[in-house]
Amino acid sequence: MNKEKWIQAAAEGGFESFEIYESLSKERSLRWFSGEMETFVTSRVTGYALRGIYSGKMVSYATENPDDAQMDRILAVMKEQAAAITSEDESFILAPQETECVKNTHNFISPEAGKVKEALAYVEKQILAFDPRIVQVTHLEWSEEDNCRLITNSCGMRAEDAGRVQVLVAGAAAVAGEEVRDDFLVRTVENLSDFDLDAFVKKLGETVIAKFGASPVASGTYPVIIEKDAMTSLFAALSGMFSGEKIGKGLSPLRDKLDTQIFSELVTVIDNPRNADYVNLMNYDDEGCPTRAKTVVDKGTFSTILHSAKSAARMGTQSTGNGFKASYASAVDVRPQGCYIVPGVKSLEELEKEMGDGLVITDLAGLHAGIDHVTTDFSLQCSGYLVKNGVREKSVTLITIAANFLELMKQVRAVGSDLDWNYRSIAAPSILFEGIAVSGE
Amino acid sequence: MLDQKTLEKYLSLCMDSAADFAEIYEELETKEIITMLNGRVENVNEAVTSGVGIRLLKGVQSVYAYSNETGEEAVLPLIRDLAAALGEGKAEKPVTLTRVEYENRHPVRIDFRTSSLEDKTRLLSRATDAAMAADDRIVKVQAVLLNVNQEVQISNSEGRLIGDTRVRTRMMVDAFAQEGDNFQSGADRPGAGMGLEFYEQTTPEETGREAARVAIVNLSAGDCPSGKMPVVIDNAFGGVIFHEACGHALEATSVAKNQSVFSGKFGQQIASPCVSAVDDGTIPNAWGSENIDDEGNFQQRRQLIKNGILTSYMIDRLGARRMGMAETGSGRRESYRYEPTSRMSNTFILEGGASFEELFEGIEKGLYAKKMGGGSVNPQTGEFNFSVGEGYLIENGKITKPVRGAALIGNGRDILMNIDRVCSNLERGQGMCGSASGSIPTDVGQPAIRVTSITVGGTANE
Repeated sequence: MNKEKWIQAAAEGGFESFEIYESLSKERSLRWFSGEMETFVTSRVTGYALRGIYSGKMVSYATENPDDAQMDRILAVMKEQAAAITSEDESFILAPQETECVKNTHNFISPEAGKVKEALAYVEKQILAFDPRIVQVTHLEWSEEDNCRLITNSCGMRAEDAGRVQVLVAGAAAVAGEEVRDDFLVRTVENLSDFDLDAFVKKLGETVIAKFGASPVASGTYPVIIEKDAMTSLFAALSGMFSGEKIGKGLSPLRDKLDTQIFSELVTVIDNPRNADYVNLMNYDDEGCPTRAKTVVDKGTFSTILHSAKSAARMGTQSTGNGFKASYASAVDVRPQGCYIVPGVKSLEELEKEMGDGLVITDLAGLHAGIDHVTTDFSLQCSGYLVKNGVREKSVTLITIAANFLELMKQVRAVGSDLDWNYRSIAAPSILFEGIAVSGE
Repeated sequence: MLDQKTLEKYLSLCMDSAADFAEIYEELETKEIITMLNGRVENVNEAVTSGVGIRLLKGVQSVYAYSNETGEEAVLPLIRDLAAALGEGKAEKPVTLTRVEYENRHPVRIDFRTSSLEDKTRLLSRATDAAMAADDRIVKVQAVLLNVNQEVQISNSEGRLIGDTRVRTRMMVDAFAQEGDNFQSGADRPGAGMGLEFYEQTTPEETGREAARVAIVNLSAGDCPSGKMPVVIDNAFGGVIFHEACGHALEATSVAKNQSVFSGKFGQQIASPCVSAVDDGTIPNAWGSENIDDEGNFQQRRQLIKNGILTSYMIDRLGARRMGMAETGSGRRESYRYEPTSRMSNTFILEGGASFEELFEGIEKGLYAKKMGGGSVNPQTGEFNFSVGEGYLIENGKITKPVRGAALIGNGRDILMNIDRVCSNLERGQGMCGSASGSIPTDVGQPAIRVTSITVGGTANE
């Protein structure tokens, strides 16, 4: 694609401004099963997302086939879109802004294929040897992904960000009589040669075996710790509430709650795509706006709405550098990145002691369906374990927890210290809550 | 798409390796999404994706490469990479292709690509206007029109060359109702494997009114009860219970590796005798239908369960190799970025003989789940969940007060045995199903059914 040619043709065709977002991703992954390679995948995909302002309207087109011979046709299609758009929202294609970029300190070293196979074979063998009840390593995979995005526009923008991540995933199933239990573990791995595979195996094995004997508990209201992985998934699923796009349209439950107490004062939320712990550190959002750290919730008070250029204009303010796409072909939306609940000082064990009697929820399921994003009511399948006098007593499964998230986050008793970013873009530590409705027996 | 000569060259090169099978999957997809808020068009987005996926098999091992570059300079190194990953072995097995022709079972009359934006946005305006007019308390309406045209061409080392064009349309309306501080939503999202003629039979007005109706009901809905109780699940998208509780666990994706609660249960009673269920990818113009699966095999109607007995799994090519059973035309994938694996298409419980009223007989306290949201399952353990979008209490056999969303959970092994009544009002609903080979369109469906006991995850503990 000759980008300058497209930008010039757009200008000559009457576009007030024009942008080309190029995304390149490369992947290699190896899956292992029953002592041999099961699947090997390699890929290289480039996608282009075009945006332009025509007659004051933002129009867009995405293609993986950017043939310069298609240029006139595609620009004509985009002009037709402008005639159809009747929203009065202003949109912008941004001029470059000065920023000092932060270097991503995660250093992912790609191992040789032979070393990967060796490691996977070893992990499978060790998981099966961990306990005789473990009957199968259900999923074992090494994957590497490189991604690069480049934003070029008629305002002189040339913003580039690149990243790499390597991940080891393993799942194991164990059987005792009629009872079947399983679990998964996912970890980022910067250097496979240094990575403690034995600790990885031990963590997975212990988690699976501890699930034996799990059963529901009686329905009722319990003090609950939502453990970090489960809390991360719940918080991430609801983090769209901070979006200026949703708030501006009156669709967010926080639509009129800026500068009010929305969570317990024990809870502070920061959004920082340049967070050094975030593996996909981003210096720019998907509009080329430099990213920065901001306190979204300050000791329980909602203090910053996240914005893209469009949502900011609607609310008479500036972009916060949160204009991100779900994929290169999607429209720009407002999304948190590098967003987290600030950890407290108590470990999970200390939270359990403080709770005394209650439940620890370690897994949540059905997040894509069991949450009402308008009201923040949720009802989710979960599992975990019962705690008596601060000590784990028995595993629990096939129960639900149900609550209103905004009400729940006002009932925080303590925030844990165990924040763990791993591969995630949004993270939370374990949190102890006063009481949550549980359905079981 | 690549021409036959080029495909033969690439496949022959693929087979000049340790592979015993090679396949090339090509795709060109145009997707258009129009979004409207309160009658104003906010966004029109068109995306064209095109690429190729090359797969080599050796026994039950597979290697896969995908890219959107299809020229020799990009493809030949990919094939060499794949062959090297499969290990030692070289045997020249040149491939000659024969194109398979067939009659399209899913004809389309109005192509969205040649329809004007004005016509398409008018459909959304009609839905919005109907929703707004349904009740004064409807304050916002978001409406989205999705249209997809996906062309695929599949060729393999068995000499098969075949193509398909899948056209789909879907309208998704969310209505928001407000009364004082109480702000609730309701949705309706019908779709089909059709062109824009779909909206002549399922009108935008019906969709808008339905979304508004659910939003208004939710304004007066109280807390859902909590605990184990009988549940009557209505038809259409109520079929998500079968999709989650049973469907995924019958896919070779998990069955073949003994990772399903229904592995090794072929021919056994896995559901109540009143339950029979099929997965049918041939239904003309259904949302989950296609002429061929994504391995190039013709779609089929698969009777999964007959009178409670497991009579078929859904099996893709690799699954067939692992299981020593025949393929069932079930290999599907979201796009060229994924290897295919066995997936559902249009999956539903068949009609029974009970009347709708009989489903409520004898229930002192229970839940009527009129509209469902989505769900998920762990096929290994059988534990599943799905969510209620619109529910009502059942008190002494009667439908009484509306209640708001709860998750229903259970184990697929048990829940199918707990269906004791099946009505005759079969309907299907549309959804997107996520699994190892990505997100694909599927219908779920059933008549209204009764489950004698299921855990309801409400907040109203007694």
